[in-house]
Amino acid sequence: MTNKTILAILWVGTILLLGCSSSSKWSFQNKIFLTDISPISIAADGDFLWLSDVAGNRLIKIDTNGNILQEHKSVQRPMHIAIFQSKLYVPEFERDTIRIIDNQDRQNLSLVKPLDAPAAVAVKENDVAIADFYNHRIVIKRGEQTSIIGKEGHQKGELYYPTDAAWYDSQLYVADAYNNRIQVFDEQGQVLRIIGENDNIQVATGLTVANEQLFVSDFEGNRILIYNTKGELLQTISSEALNKPIDIEVVGDIMWVVNHEGGTLLQYKLRH
Amino acid sequence: MNLFINFFATLILILFIGIGTNLNATAVLEDTTTYVYVKIEVKGLSCPFCAYGLEKKLKEIEGTTDVEIDIKEGLAMFRIAKDKQPEKEQLRKAVKDAGFTPEAVTISTTPFKIDKDDK
Repeated sequence: MTNKTILAILWVGTILLLGCSSSSKWSFQNKIFLTDISPISIAADGDFLWLSDVAGNRLIKIDTNGNILQEHKSVQRPMHIAIFQSKLYVPEFERDTIRIIDNQDRQNLSLVKPLDAPAAVAVKENDVAIADFYNHRIVIKRGEQTSIIGKEGHQKGELYYPTDAAWYDSQLYVADAYNNRIQVFDEQGQVLRIIGENDNIQVATGLTVANEQLFVSDFEGNRILIYNTKGELLQTISSEALNKPIDIEVVGDIMWVVNHEGGTLLQYKLRH
Repeated sequence: MNLFINFFATLILILFIGIGTNLNATAVLEDTTTYVYVKIEVKGLSCPFCAYGLEKKLKEIEGTTDVEIDIKEGLAMFRIAKDKQPEKEQLRKAVKDAGFTPEAVTISTTPFKIDKDDK
Protein backbone atom coordinates (compact mmCIF):
# COMPACT_ATOMS: atom_id res chain seq x y z
CA MET A 1 0.00 0.00 0.00
CA THR A 2 1.45 3.35 -1.03
CA ASN A 3 1.79 6.35 1.25
CA LYS A 4 -0.79 8.16 -0.87
CA THR A 5 -3.33 5.37 -0.32
CA ILE A 6 -2.72 5.36 3.44
CA LEU A 7 -3.14 9.15 3.56
CA ALA A 8 -6.36 8.92 1.55
CA ILE A 9 -7.78 6.27 3.93
CA LEU A 10 -6.85 8.37 6.95
CA TRP A 11 -8.41 11.47 5.38
CA VAL A 12 -11.68 9.66 4.57
CA GLY A 13 -11.72 8.14 8.07
CA THR A 14 -11.28 11.56 9.67
CA ILE A 15 -14.09 13.04 7.56
CA LEU A 16 -16.38 10.14 8.53
CA LEU A 17 -15.57 10.53 12.24
CA LEU A 18 -16.17 14.28 12.15
CA GLY A 19 -19.43 13.69 10.29
CA CYS A 20 -20.58 11.20 12.91
CA SER A 21 -19.70 13.44 15.86
CA SER A 22 -21.40 16.50 14.38
CA SER A 23 -24.58 14.51 13.75
CA SER A 24 -24.76 13.30 17.38
CA LYS A 25 -27.88 14.70 18.99
CA TRP A 26 -29.46 14.55 22.40
CA SER A 27 -32.95 13.12 22.34
CA PHE A 28 -35.65 12.78 24.97
CA GLN A 29 -35.86 9.40 26.65
CA ASN A 30 -37.79 9.51 29.92
CA LYS A 31 -39.67 11.69 32.40
CA ILE A 32 -39.51 10.96 36.13
CA PHE A 33 -42.08 12.46 38.49
CA LEU A 34 -40.73 13.65 41.83
CA THR A 35 -43.27 13.70 44.65
CA ASP A 36 -43.34 16.70 47.00
CA ILE A 37 -40.01 18.01 45.77
CA SER A 38 -39.30 21.50 44.51
CA PRO A 39 -35.99 20.80 42.74
CA ILE A 40 -33.55 23.53 41.84
CA SER A 41 -30.28 21.67 41.40
CA ILE A 42 -28.86 18.27 40.48
CA ALA A 43 -25.49 16.58 40.95
CA ALA A 44 -24.49 13.04 40.04
CA ASP A 45 -22.99 10.78 42.70
CA GLY A 46 -21.95 7.54 40.99
CA ASP A 47 -25.12 5.80 39.88
CA PHE A 48 -27.29 8.11 42.00
CA LEU A 49 -28.41 11.71 41.89
CA TRP A 50 -28.58 14.41 44.54
CA LEU A 51 -31.25 17.08 44.25
CA SER A 52 -31.65 20.23 46.28
CA ASP A 53 -35.27 20.66 47.34
CA VAL A 54 -35.28 24.41 47.88
CA ALA A 55 -38.82 24.73 49.24
CA GLY A 56 -38.36 21.73 51.53
CA ASN A 57 -34.99 22.96 52.85
CA ARG A 58 -33.37 19.59 52.26
CA LEU A 59 -31.15 17.57 49.95
CA ILE A 60 -32.32 14.24 48.66
CA LYS A 61 -30.51 11.35 47.07
CA ILE A 62 -32.52 9.42 44.48
CA ASP A 63 -32.00 6.51 42.18
CA THR A 64 -32.59 6.90 38.46
CA ASN A 65 -36.24 5.95 38.91
CA GLY A 66 -36.82 8.84 41.29
CA ASN A 67 -36.98 6.76 44.48
CA ILE A 68 -35.70 8.66 47.50
CA LEU A 69 -32.79 6.83 49.16
CA GLN A 70 -31.44 9.40 51.59
CA GLU A 71 -32.03 12.96 52.73
CA HIS A 72 -30.22 15.72 54.57
CA LYS A 73 -32.56 18.14 56.32
CA SER A 74 -32.06 21.55 57.90
CA VAL A 75 -30.22 23.27 55.09
CA GLN A 76 -31.60 26.73 54.39
CA ARG A 77 -32.74 27.27 50.81
CA PRO A 78 -30.11 25.03 49.18
CA MET A 79 -29.32 26.12 45.62
CA HIS A 80 -26.86 24.76 42.99
CA ILE A 81 -24.91 22.07 44.81
CA ALA A 82 -21.62 20.35 43.90
CA ILE A 83 -20.04 17.03 44.78
CA PHE A 84 -16.29 16.67 45.13
CA GLN A 85 -14.50 13.68 46.65
CA SER A 86 -17.79 12.35 48.03
CA LYS A 87 -18.52 15.59 49.88
CA LEU A 88 -21.60 17.66 49.19
CA TYR A 89 -21.03 21.41 48.86
CA VAL A 90 -24.26 23.25 49.53
CA PRO A 91 -24.78 26.98 49.03
CA GLU A 92 -27.36 28.12 51.58
CA PHE A 93 -29.04 31.05 49.92
CA GLU A 94 -30.72 32.31 53.08
CA ARG A 95 -27.86 31.78 55.56
CA ASP A 96 -25.09 33.08 53.26
CA THR A 97 -22.95 30.03 53.94
CA ILE A 98 -21.43 27.12 52.05
CA ARG A 99 -22.22 23.98 53.99
CA ILE A 100 -19.96 20.96 53.44
CA ILE A 101 -21.64 17.64 54.19
CA ASP A 102 -19.45 14.58 54.54
CA ASN A 103 -21.77 11.74 55.52
CA GLN A 104 -23.15 12.90 58.88
CA ASP A 105 -20.42 15.47 59.46
CA ARG A 106 -21.34 19.07 58.63
CA GLN A 107 -19.18 22.15 58.60
CA ASN A 108 -19.18 25.57 56.98
CA LEU A 109 -16.57 26.66 54.47
CA SER A 110 -14.64 29.46 56.15
CA LEU A 111 -14.74 32.62 54.09
CA VAL A 112 -13.22 36.06 54.58
CA LYS A 113 -15.54 37.72 52.04
CA PRO A 114 -19.15 37.91 53.21
CA LEU A 115 -21.66 36.43 50.78
CA ASP A 116 -25.13 37.69 50.00
CA ALA A 117 -27.29 34.82 48.75
CA PRO A 118 -24.84 32.22 47.37
CA ALA A 119 -26.58 30.65 44.39
CA ALA A 120 -24.03 28.04 43.33
CA VAL A 121 -20.77 26.39 44.19
CA ALA A 122 -18.22 24.70 41.91
CA VAL A 123 -15.29 22.69 43.24
CA LYS A 124 -12.01 21.38 41.79
CA GLU A 125 -8.96 20.28 43.76
CA ASN A 126 -8.17 23.26 46.03
CA ASP A 127 -10.47 25.72 44.28
CA VAL A 128 -14.00 26.54 45.36
CA ALA A 129 -15.93 29.02 43.22
CA ILE A 130 -19.10 30.58 44.61
CA ALA A 131 -21.72 32.48 42.62
CA ASP A 132 -22.43 35.37 44.99
CA PHE A 133 -25.87 36.33 43.64
CA TYR A 134 -26.61 39.70 45.25
CA ASN A 135 -23.00 40.87 45.14
CA HIS A 136 -22.89 40.13 41.38
CA ARG A 137 -19.53 38.39 41.60
CA ILE A 138 -17.71 35.09 41.88
CA VAL A 139 -15.76 34.43 45.05
CA ILE A 140 -12.85 32.03 44.57
CA LYS A 141 -11.33 30.34 47.58
CA ARG A 142 -8.00 28.76 46.67
CA GLY A 143 -6.53 27.18 49.77
CA GLU A 144 -6.38 30.08 52.22
CA GLN A 145 -6.42 32.73 49.49
CA THR A 146 -9.60 34.44 48.37
CA SER A 147 -10.07 36.33 45.14
CA ILE A 148 -12.98 37.97 43.37
CA ILE A 149 -14.10 37.76 39.75
CA GLY A 150 -16.48 40.35 38.31
CA LYS A 151 -18.57 43.19 39.62
CA GLU A 152 -22.10 44.40 38.96
CA GLY A 153 -22.63 45.44 35.36
CA HIS A 154 -23.35 44.46 31.81
CA GLN A 155 -19.96 44.84 30.14
CA LYS A 156 -17.45 42.10 29.36
CA GLY A 157 -16.21 40.60 32.64
CA GLU A 158 -19.04 42.14 34.65
CA LEU A 159 -21.87 40.07 36.09
CA TYR A 160 -25.56 40.57 36.76
CA TYR A 161 -27.06 38.06 39.19
CA PRO A 162 -24.83 35.00 38.56
CA THR A 163 -26.70 31.79 39.35
CA ASP A 164 -24.37 28.91 38.48
CA ALA A 165 -20.72 28.03 37.89
CA ALA A 166 -18.70 25.04 36.70
CA TRP A 167 -15.00 24.27 36.35
CA TYR A 168 -13.79 22.58 33.18
CA ASP A 169 -10.18 22.34 31.95
CA SER A 170 -9.08 24.91 34.56
CA GLN A 171 -11.60 27.38 33.16
CA LEU A 172 -14.61 28.70 35.04
CA TYR A 173 -17.95 28.82 33.24
CA VAL A 174 -20.42 31.23 34.83
CA ALA A 175 -24.17 31.47 34.22
CA ASP A 176 -24.45 35.25 34.03
CA ALA A 177 -28.21 34.84 34.42
CA TYR A 178 -29.64 38.31 33.94
CA ASN A 179 -27.05 39.34 31.36
CA ASN A 180 -28.51 36.41 29.42
CA ARG A 181 -25.15 34.84 28.63
CA ILE A 182 -22.36 32.56 29.79
CA GLN A 183 -18.94 33.99 30.57
CA VAL A 184 -15.81 31.87 30.65
CA PHE A 185 -12.91 32.97 32.86
CA ASP A 186 -9.37 31.70 33.31
CA GLU A 187 -8.03 30.99 36.80
CA GLN A 188 -6.78 34.57 37.11
CA GLY A 189 -10.25 35.94 36.42
CA GLN A 190 -9.64 37.12 32.85
CA VAL A 191 -12.54 36.68 30.45
CA LEU A 192 -11.72 34.15 27.77
CA ARG A 193 -15.03 34.16 25.90
CA ILE A 194 -18.67 35.04 26.10
CA ILE A 195 -21.19 32.44 24.96
CA GLY A 196 -24.84 32.73 23.96
CA GLU A 197 -25.06 36.51 23.65
CA ASN A 198 -26.85 36.27 20.32
CA ASP A 199 -29.02 33.28 21.13
CA ASN A 200 -31.87 35.13 22.85
CA ILE A 201 -31.29 33.41 26.19
CA GLN A 202 -33.92 34.77 28.58
CA VAL A 203 -32.58 33.64 31.97
CA ALA A 204 -29.54 31.34 32.03
CA THR A 205 -30.10 29.72 35.43
CA GLY A 206 -28.02 26.55 35.22
CA LEU A 207 -25.09 25.06 33.36
CA THR A 208 -22.73 22.14 33.23
CA VAL A 209 -19.73 21.25 31.08
CA ALA A 210 -18.92 17.69 30.03
CA ASN A 211 -17.41 15.88 27.07
CA GLU A 212 -16.28 19.17 25.47
CA GLN A 213 -19.86 20.44 25.52
CA LEU A 214 -21.52 23.23 27.48
CA PHE A 215 -25.14 22.70 28.53
CA VAL A 216 -27.25 25.72 29.48
CA SER A 217 -30.77 25.81 30.90
CA ASP A 218 -32.76 28.82 29.73
CA PHE A 219 -35.39 28.97 32.50
CA GLU A 220 -37.67 31.61 31.01
CA GLY A 221 -37.07 30.55 27.42
CA ASN A 222 -37.96 26.97 28.38
CA ARG A 223 -35.02 25.60 26.42
CA ILE A 224 -31.76 23.71 26.76
CA LEU A 225 -28.91 25.05 24.65
CA ILE A 226 -25.90 22.88 23.90
CA TYR A 227 -22.62 24.43 22.73
CA ASN A 228 -19.14 23.19 22.14
CA THR A 229 -16.61 24.70 24.52
CA LYS A 230 -15.65 27.28 21.88
CA GLY A 231 -19.18 28.63 22.12
CA GLU A 232 -20.64 27.33 18.87
CA LEU A 233 -24.29 26.33 19.24
CA LEU A 234 -24.72 22.63 18.46
CA GLN A 235 -28.30 21.92 19.47
CA THR A 236 -31.35 23.59 20.99
CA ILE A 237 -33.90 21.47 22.83
CA SER A 238 -37.31 23.03 23.33
CA SER A 239 -39.57 20.03 23.75
CA GLU A 240 -42.95 20.07 25.49
CA ALA A 241 -41.48 18.06 28.37
CA LEU A 242 -39.49 21.08 29.48
CA ASN A 243 -41.21 23.08 32.21
CA LYS A 244 -38.98 25.86 33.52
CA PRO A 245 -35.70 23.90 33.31
CA ILE A 246 -33.36 25.10 36.01
CA ASP A 247 -30.35 22.77 36.14
CA ILE A 248 -28.59 20.09 34.15
CA GLU A 249 -26.25 17.20 34.86
CA VAL A 250 -24.47 15.05 32.29
CA VAL A 251 -23.08 11.60 32.98
CA GLY A 252 -21.54 9.93 29.93
CA ASP A 253 -24.20 9.90 27.23
CA ILE A 254 -27.08 10.65 29.60
CA MET A 255 -28.28 14.19 30.31
CA TRP A 256 -30.55 14.94 33.27
CA VAL A 257 -32.67 18.09 33.23
CA VAL A 258 -34.42 19.40 36.33
CA ASN A 259 -37.80 21.02 35.70
CA HIS A 260 -38.53 23.44 38.52
CA GLU A 261 -42.24 23.60 37.77
CA GLY A 262 -44.14 20.40 38.16
CA GLY A 263 -41.17 18.79 39.90
CA THR A 264 -39.99 16.44 37.19
CA LEU A 265 -36.67 15.09 36.03
CA LEU A 266 -36.06 14.55 32.32
CA GLN A 267 -33.62 12.06 30.87
CA TYR A 268 -32.02 12.64 27.46
CA LYS A 269 -29.67 10.30 25.62
CA LEU A 270 -26.93 11.13 23.16
CA ARG A 271 -27.68 9.35 19.88
CA HIS A 272 -25.03 8.95 17.17
CA MET B 1 -74.26 5.31 91.34
CA ASN B 2 -73.77 4.63 87.61
CA LEU B 3 -75.97 7.57 86.79
CA PHE B 4 -73.82 9.80 88.98
CA ILE B 5 -70.58 8.61 87.29
CA ASN B 6 -72.07 9.21 83.82
CA PHE B 7 -73.18 12.69 84.82
CA PHE B 8 -69.77 13.50 86.29
CA ALA B 9 -67.89 12.21 83.19
CA THR B 10 -70.13 14.25 80.86
CA LEU B 11 -69.52 17.34 82.98
CA ILE B 12 -65.74 16.91 82.75
CA LEU B 13 -65.97 16.37 78.98
CA ILE B 14 -68.00 19.56 78.55
CA LEU B 15 -65.48 21.46 80.64
CA PHE B 16 -62.54 20.20 78.50
CA ILE B 17 -64.30 21.09 75.22
CA GLY B 18 -65.09 24.51 76.64
CA ILE B 19 -61.48 25.18 77.63
CA GLY B 20 -60.21 23.96 74.21
CA THR B 21 -62.60 26.21 72.30
CA ASN B 22 -61.69 29.14 74.46
CA LEU B 23 -57.95 28.52 73.83
CA ASN B 24 -58.51 28.42 70.05
CA ALA B 25 -60.51 31.62 70.19
CA THR B 26 -57.74 33.25 72.20
CA ALA B 27 -55.13 32.15 69.63
CA VAL B 28 -57.11 33.61 66.72
CA LEU B 29 -57.71 36.79 68.70
CA GLU B 30 -53.98 37.01 69.43
CA ASP B 31 -53.10 36.63 65.71
CA THR B 32 -55.27 39.52 64.67
CA THR B 33 -54.27 41.73 67.54
CA THR B 34 -50.52 41.01 67.45
CA TYR B 35 -49.83 40.99 63.73
CA VAL B 36 -50.58 42.96 60.63
CA TYR B 37 -50.54 41.38 57.19
CA VAL B 38 -48.63 42.87 54.28
CA LYS B 39 -49.11 42.36 50.55
CA ILE B 40 -46.70 43.91 48.04
CA GLU B 41 -47.15 43.83 44.30
CA VAL B 42 -43.74 43.25 42.76
CA LYS B 43 -42.68 43.79 39.16
CA GLY B 44 -39.89 41.70 37.65
CA LEU B 45 -40.20 38.43 39.56
CA SER B 46 -39.34 35.57 37.26
CA CYS B 47 -37.12 32.77 38.51
CA PRO B 48 -36.88 31.00 41.91
CA PHE B 49 -33.61 32.82 42.63
CA CYS B 50 -35.60 36.06 42.44
CA ALA B 51 -38.38 34.69 44.64
CA TYR B 52 -36.09 33.34 47.33
CA GLY B 53 -33.93 36.47 47.08
CA LEU B 54 -36.95 38.63 47.79
CA GLU B 55 -37.94 36.29 50.61
CA LYS B 56 -34.43 36.71 52.08
CA LYS B 57 -34.54 40.50 51.93
CA LEU B 58 -38.03 40.67 53.46
CA LYS B 59 -37.02 38.32 56.30
CA GLU B 60 -34.24 40.76 57.15
CA ILE B 61 -36.94 43.25 58.28
CA GLU B 62 -37.32 42.77 62.03
CA GLY B 63 -40.47 40.95 63.08
CA THR B 64 -41.30 39.49 59.65
CA THR B 65 -42.65 35.94 59.52
CA ASP B 66 -44.41 33.57 57.12
CA VAL B 67 -43.10 35.16 53.94
CA GLU B 68 -44.80 33.79 50.82
CA ILE B 69 -43.84 34.73 47.28
CA ASP B 70 -46.17 34.16 44.34
CA ILE B 71 -44.05 34.38 41.19
CA LYS B 72 -46.95 34.08 38.75
CA GLU B 73 -49.01 36.81 40.36
CA GLY B 74 -45.99 38.93 41.26
CA LEU B 75 -46.90 39.14 44.92
CA ALA B 76 -45.05 39.04 48.23
CA MET B 77 -47.09 38.43 51.36
CA PHE B 78 -46.09 38.11 54.99
CA ARG B 79 -47.11 39.05 58.49
CA ILE B 80 -45.26 41.26 60.87
CA ALA B 81 -45.58 42.08 64.56
CA LYS B 82 -47.85 45.09 64.99
CA ASP B 83 -45.40 46.88 67.23
CA LYS B 84 -42.69 46.48 64.58
CA GLN B 85 -44.83 47.53 61.63
CA PRO B 86 -42.51 49.25 59.13
CA GLU B 87 -43.30 52.27 57.00
CA LYS B 88 -44.40 51.46 53.47
CA GLU B 89 -41.27 53.22 52.22
CA GLN B 90 -39.08 50.77 54.17
CA LEU B 91 -40.92 47.88 52.55
CA ARG B 92 -40.47 49.41 49.11
CA LYS B 93 -36.74 49.77 49.81
CA ALA B 94 -36.46 46.08 50.75
CA VAL B 95 -38.06 45.15 47.43
CA LYS B 96 -35.71 47.46 45.53
CA ASP B 97 -32.71 46.01 47.40
CA ALA B 98 -33.83 42.59 46.23
CA GLY B 99 -33.64 43.84 42.63
CA PHE B 100 -37.30 44.44 41.86
CA THR B 101 -39.74 47.27 41.36
CA PRO B 102 -42.34 47.62 44.13
CA GLU B 103 -45.85 48.63 43.18
CA ALA B 104 -48.89 48.70 45.49
CA VAL B 105 -48.24 47.98 49.18
CA THR B 106 -51.28 46.93 51.22
CA ILE B 107 -51.31 46.48 54.99
CA SER B 108 -54.27 44.70 56.56
CA THR B 109 -55.35 43.39 59.95
CA THR B 110 -56.59 40.18 58.30
CA PRO B 111 -54.54 37.65 56.35
CA PHE B 112 -54.32 37.56 52.56
CA LYS B 113 -54.96 34.36 50.67
CA ILE B 114 -52.20 32.76 48.59
CA ASP B 115 -52.27 29.79 46.26
CA LYS B 116 -49.23 27.76 47.36
CA ASP B 117 -49.14 25.82 44.09
CA ASP B 118 -48.07 28.98 42.32
CA LYS B 119 -44.77 29.24 44.11
